[in-house]
Amino acid sequence: MGELGKLHQLIIPFFGHTITLNLEVIVMTWIVFTMLIILGLFAGRKKKILPGPIQAFGELIVSMLYGLTEDALGKERAKTYGPLVCALFMFLLLSNWLGIIPHLEEPTKDLNTTLGLGIMGFVIAHYAGIKSKGFKAYIKEYFQPIFFMMPLNLIGELAKIVSISFRLFGNIMGGSIIILVVSSLTYSVVLPPFLYAFFGLFVGTIQAFVFTMLTIVYISVQVR
Amino acid sequence: MAVDVETVVKIAAYAGGGMAMGFGAIGAAIGEGYTAARANLAISRNPKISGEIFKNMLVGQAVAESASIFALVIAILLLFLDVPVPSLLKASALLAAGISMGFGAIGSGVGSGYPGGEACFGIAKQPEIASQLTTNMLIGSAVCQTPAIFSMVVALMLMFIEFGNAPLYPTWAAYLGAGLSMGLAAIGSGYGGGLAAGASCEGISRHPKTAASVTTIMLVGQAVSQTPSIFGLLISFILMFKSFPESTSLSAAMALLAAGICMGFGGIGPGIGNGMAAEGAVRWVARNVEHAGDLMRIMLVGQAVSQSTAIYAMVVSLVLIFVV
Repeated sequence: MGELGKLHQLIIPFFGHTITLNLEVIVMTWIVFTMLIILGLFAGRKKKILPGPIQAFGELIVSMLYGLTEDALGKERAKTYGPLVCALFMFLLLSNWLGIIPHLEEPTKDLNTTLGLGIMGFVIAHYAGIKSKGFKAYIKEYFQPIFFMMPLNLIGELAKIVSISFRLFGNIMGGSIIILVVSSLTYSVVLPPFLYAFFGLFVGTIQAFVFTMLTIVYISVQVR
Repeated sequence: MAVDVETVVKIAAYAGGGMAMGFGAIGAAIGEGYTAARANLAISRNPKISGEIFKNMLVGQAVAESASIFALVIAILLLFLDVPVPSLLKASALLAAGISMGFGAIGSGVGSGYPGGEACFGIAKQPEIASQLTTNMLIGSAVCQTPAIFSMVVALMLMFIEFGNAPLYPTWAAYLGAGLSMGLAAIGSGYGGGLAAGASCEGISRHPKTAASVTTIMLVGQAVSQTPSIFGLLISFILMFKSFPESTSLSAAMALLAAGICMGFGGIGPGIGNGMAAEGAVRWVARNVEHAGDLMRIMLVGQAVSQSTAIYAMVVSLVLIFVV
């Protein structure tokens, strides 16, 4: 169990500071990107009225996610945010599933990935809020119900980033730690495949969906 | 009687193992009992499909059991753990691992009994959608386990990660604080998530066509109910991985311990409260699906307000860690 808590890092000295790169995570993220692009190309290459299997699969996902976005944000805004939601969900889904392939690891196991996505969602939600309500009304919300609640409202907003990113990170990393420990206890016999099915496929799908839904919900709370 | 370090580590490991399994046994048993009670009610309502209900009850109870199985794994690991380099710091970490897992299993165990029970009752009312109810029950109870999984992660980290040569004072208190913060904060979130999941099974059985929106709002509600336990996870990560300067004064150690206790207890109430908000929203979305958007927004605003106390607890914990 020595690998628990160890990372392959590339540390570059840079004018007195150091830049740390988590190599594995970067490689795994690029693998997910590549898979997504290939899937997208295949799904959209030969568009027909009678869709082939991959096109049908792509249309199913896109229409489901657009439906969810429309429910929360309305038809007009769903056109703006729908592509973001689809991309986010597909990226997270493939990232969470990547761990079931031997030698590959989930990029979402690293806090940097989930925190980055969480901050992205936060910035988009607040940009959407400022755009739809105007700057004055946006600022005014922080001083509700009384003006001195401002610092706590601000912390409450920032806590959203923490909660959304730690939820995904904790679930995926927790699953992989549990699999690691159980595998080494049972010498990788019998149990680990079931654990991979549960934590990789099942929990991974649910958490990808939850992250995506929460991003939509944060946007919808801001725009209204 | 002189006690050497090795003995202290052993004592801590045994005490931790006992606490992990002892406390961990509380929650799942209550949850499973609730499932069985609802299953009895369901069978008395609709005796013709008693086989179906019985099967669903067993599946629900098996999922509700998982929190205490996590506790069992941690307890057995603690009892038979081989510590290569015994130190007093390791002793404190092992005790904290037991505390984290023991308390952390309570909420999830109780909570994941609710979807099982409501699904059994729902099958009695609507036998045609039995498989749909079972699926929804499984999703709901699996998400309920998240706080217990967080506790297990913290426990495993405390047991297996080599933290290097951190100074014994005040780091021992930081580890105990990490265990308390995660374990206690998981109680409320696990229970609250269960309330939402139970309401969703009830709602689907009442109005099966609304299943998609009910499941979606259940997941969002459960996710927000878990926020206090995520704050607990954050505080315990900070306590585990931040290096503290050596200080022999007791106040520094107590500040770290207090940070863990503050976040731990502070997370219980908001977790349950958020779960109640989610329960109400889920229950009424099933009856009034046209206004699902409004209900979800009100739920989120209510949860944000109820969560503010967890945020106060987190702020105080952070002040205790970084300022005091």
